[in-house]
Amino acid sequence: MMNATRTWVKALPFSGRVGLSLVLLWLFLAVFGPLLAPYDPGAFVAHDVFAGFTAAHPLGSDYLGRDVLSRLLSGARYSVGLALAAALVASTTGTALALITAVSPRWVDEGISRFVDTLISIPSKILSLVLVAVVGSSLPLLLLVASITYFPGAFRIARSLAVNLAQMDYVQVARCRGEGAVYIALREILPNMIHPMLADFGLRFVFIVLLLSGLSFLGLGVQPPDADLGSLVRENISGLGEAAPAILVPAIAIATLTVGVNLLIDSLPGRGRRMAGKE
Amino acid sequence: MRLSRRQMLGTGLAAGMTGLLMPRLAHAQPKRGGHITAASLSSSTADTLDPAKGALSTDYCRHAMFYNGLTDYDENGQPYLCLAESLDSDDQITWRVVLRRGVKFHDGSTLTADDVVFSLLRLQDPASGSKVRPIASQMASVRAVSPRDVEIVLTGANVDLPSILAQSHFYIIKAGTREFSKANGTGPFRCQTFQAGVRTLGVRNEDYFREGRPYLDSLELIGIPDEVARVNALLSGDVHMVIAVNPRSTRRIRESGTHDLLITPSGLYTNLIMRRDSKPTGNPDFVLGMKHLFDRDLIKRALFRDFATIGNDHPIPPFDPFYRADLPQRTLDLDKARYHFARADLPSTPLPLYCSPAAEGSVDMASVLQEYGAKVGLKLAVNRMPADGYWSTHWMKHPLGFGNTNPRPTADLVFSLFYKSTAAWNESGWQNERFDRLLLDARAQGDFALRKEIYGEMQEIVAAECGTAIPVFITLIDGFDKRVKGLRPIRLGGFMGYKFPEHVWWEG
Amino acid sequence: MAGPATRGLLATALPLIVKRIASGLLTLLLVSLVVFFIAQLLPGDMAQELLGQAATADAVAALREKFGLDQPAPERYVRWLLGMLTGDPGYSMVANMPVADVIAARLPNSLLLAALAALVSVPVALTIGILSAMHRDTRLDRGLNVATLSMVALPEFLVATLAVLIFSVQLRWLPSIALVPADASPWLILRALAMPVLSLAVIVIAQMARMTRAAIIQQLNQAYVEMALLKGIKPARVVLTHVLPNAIGPIVNAMVLSLSYLLGGAVIVETIFNYPGLASLMVNAVTSRDMPLLQACAMIFCTAYLLLALIADTAAILANPRLRNR
Repeated sequence: MMNATRTWVKALPFSGRVGLSLVLLWLFLAVFGPLLAPYDPGAFVAHDVFAGFTAAHPLGSDYLGRDVLSRLLSGARYSVGLALAAALVASTTGTALALITAVSPRWVDEGISRFVDTLISIPSKILSLVLVAVVGSSLPLLLLVASITYFPGAFRIARSLAVNLAQMDYVQVARCRGEGAVYIALREILPNMIHPMLADFGLRFVFIVLLLSGLSFLGLGVQPPDADLGSLVRENISGLGEAAPAILVPAIAIATLTVGVNLLIDSLPGRGRRMAGKE
Repeated sequence: MRLSRRQMLGTGLAAGMTGLLMPRLAHAQPKRGGHITAASLSSSTADTLDPAKGALSTDYCRHAMFYNGLTDYDENGQPYLCLAESLDSDDQITWRVVLRRGVKFHDGSTLTADDVVFSLLRLQDPASGSKVRPIASQMASVRAVSPRDVEIVLTGANVDLPSILAQSHFYIIKAGTREFSKANGTGPFRCQTFQAGVRTLGVRNEDYFREGRPYLDSLELIGIPDEVARVNALLSGDVHMVIAVNPRSTRRIRESGTHDLLITPSGLYTNLIMRRDSKPTGNPDFVLGMKHLFDRDLIKRALFRDFATIGNDHPIPPFDPFYRADLPQRTLDLDKARYHFARADLPSTPLPLYCSPAAEGSVDMASVLQEYGAKVGLKLAVNRMPADGYWSTHWMKHPLGFGNTNPRPTADLVFSLFYKSTAAWNESGWQNERFDRLLLDARAQGDFALRKEIYGEMQEIVAAECGTAIPVFITLIDGFDKRVKGLRPIRLGGFMGYKFPEHVWWEG
Repeated sequence: MAGPATRGLLATALPLIVKRIASGLLTLLLVSLVVFFIAQLLPGDMAQELLGQAATADAVAALREKFGLDQPAPERYVRWLLGMLTGDPGYSMVANMPVADVIAARLPNSLLLAALAALVSVPVALTIGILSAMHRDTRLDRGLNVATLSMVALPEFLVATLAVLIFSVQLRWLPSIALVPADASPWLILRALAMPVLSLAVIVIAQMARMTRAAIIQQLNQAYVEMALLKGIKPARVVLTHVLPNAIGPIVNAMVLSLSYLLGGAVIVETIFNYPGLASLMVNAVTSRDMPLLQACAMIFCTAYLLLALIADTAAILANPRLRNR
């Protein structure tokens, strides 16, 4: 098991190993961050606002004189957890629906497509604005909003892949062999669309992190005194002019998180490639 | 230069005694010409040219471009005569207004008593969308006695009528106006372009009744809702004045060398509301506990970067002439808070505390309270609500939440609107007979010293008993290009109490 | 030879387009129902929001009657729908003018911004995507990859604000607000729109480029590519003439999603640059509970998306003959 993991890691290109380390780091911080925080994330511990790097506050203080490191450590779980969960929900829902449409009769495709078109054509930030105004901001709601917003995109891309693949010779062959729809969807179509869908998953993750920070711009998002990484950037935006760590650090955090996830995904050995090689 | 009420009501008010109309010696001679773009807070499709519907700073400023009131405010927030040539009363109930001669609307017609009657009476119509109906309904009748004379009869004595009439909602429009796609007022600028949610452009009204005013050839007003974007627009030279600067941006503006700040200590406050009709917020001990839980110094320093004045749980700020200075200042006292909470029957579950970006600073104040509450055994759950819908859905609707009150021109107005037992916006729902009686007494009292005494007692009652806590008064900060001259603070709002259009000039 | 082929394409595309218009209308109806339904759930109504803190019971009641809000919700919806069918999107009580006028003032702005952003981002994204796919796993590929990712990895309000700080406040090259007078010269408009366009382009380039790369790589693994390469056809030629048409489905789909974002997703960019577009107008309609205006915005965004999707699907079908049978 250990050996297998080691071989797998060794097989990764350099960029993949960078991505893997970043992802592991953020997963670690998401789980253990709150325990590591030197201060309470809501406590007003520094006299100065937007202070620089000091021994007492390694990452400076924020716009109210709170400890940036502590807030970052407590906030990581929102961005990582929420975005990961929402991206998973969005991508799997989208892919599953796409597979269904690829192997189902026309009317199923029509129905699902109209439903998805309806959701997709309502701008996501405005939908979020309305939903938050209706039921108030909470973690489940943010998860729901992010999933609703991003599964239609995953669906459209997955559907176009799946529909293309369903016309491929080997799929037609399988059909003629008399294979069932489920078999065709899972064994013949899915493996060949995994690679682009994974690339799409990585981006979807990025976009969900960005949506959450966009929501914080509109005053929606995680409830205070907690804050996700995007909210940390937003609430300290007035420190941008003086290049305060309070804004630079969360911005860099978002960048490393999103880039890390995508580097890792990009370097995963493409399963689709192997399948294609078999042809 | 404060005048006693008695003087103001008589000829004192009639004289143009204000510093605003006579540029101070310290200022250079005003220059004519030039164009300024000013950026206010918000702009939306609800932007209006109808003074009665004015809702936010952008509206107030726009209305000051195109309209005038019977009176106006000077630097001390005191009223002086504007469209009225005189405004007086013997009993503070029946008021006689004589209109200035030869004032012309932008369409060339002359201002008459009918216009005044129309402008004031429509404020009482519920369907007008008027924002000041509770105040306007104090006017039992408004009638034209002659083309230049108007008689206003109030439902009860009120020495503050001149102040009330200076608010932008009471601006005078042409009689019969029902359609507001263009502004037809008497104001310093003519409306050249008005696009709701986009821009307002005014050009100098050459027939303006005040000699030499306005100084600018043209004035453009836009709204930039995002504070950082607003300050950037100022510093990049795209606009010349911005309202509502975040205290954290003041250093950037000052350090630019080309820009400066207009700092206006004001009566604006964000207050904690503890509803009398709920538990445990209706418990007097709970109220006192919360009032001792506010770290006012921290709020002033950390939240407002010292751009605030410490408050004492009543709505009269220290620089108000009616402020009672000998009332002991309430401070953070965890022992007292603990003592009161022990007697307040606290629930074991976290108590929800509602805040919103709609009430400036309330989200951060809630965080502060949550921190200190944890130290004395009070668990608070902060619920940040979106600004959208906050006033209609959350304000005054929860046992514990925040409100926000704009500066009002007089102590009477803020007490009548927010603290009288029967007021629609009696935020905490408290009832105090003595307070209500004092309010009426003060309204009829023309003598300043006696009135100050009454208001002093009312401040004490509110601070001790009312379920609202007022930690600080927020200082208004505007930023401007140093070439914009003539700006002076008027404590009723940013941008000279929103009345800057005719007072500023451009030295470019 | 071209004649019959073209006719064949038309014969395939035409019924599709007709069918698409029908299902598009259905989608529009669904969207309007969804929008109306969730807007009904919003706290407060137009009368209350207009009055704000001044919303006393009788004033609210008077305004409700004046605005017709006292009628039942389904009735209001049906009235709106009937109006819509006759081409009248209704009257905005908040703005005090016909919805059509409000929209007419903003729609061209939004279209211009989106068109410019598309004009910048599509070629850039295609180039990046094709280049990285052809040079897969080389330094160029990784460099482009990290570059596009980093661009999209920062919150857009941060990117936009940073751009303003650099180009407006420090360098004074570009205006910080994109509010231009109606009679502005094209040059002035371009200058004012430069930063909003770039802020939007940055967001969508990454997605389009990455999907392009993935889709092309997928095709490069197919046997026919190997065949073509073995035959000695130049790689660039293979990619452009054989691979690209086959990969067009997912690519165009990614583009459709990205481009529809340029209209409705521009809220933050519009807010920061004070650009009077449709997205901020729709937010405005939500906060003021201006139903006809909200519906009109939703209809426009939906139509735009449907048109883009139609183009995408048509392109995909035309590019891949095998799909025509479906």
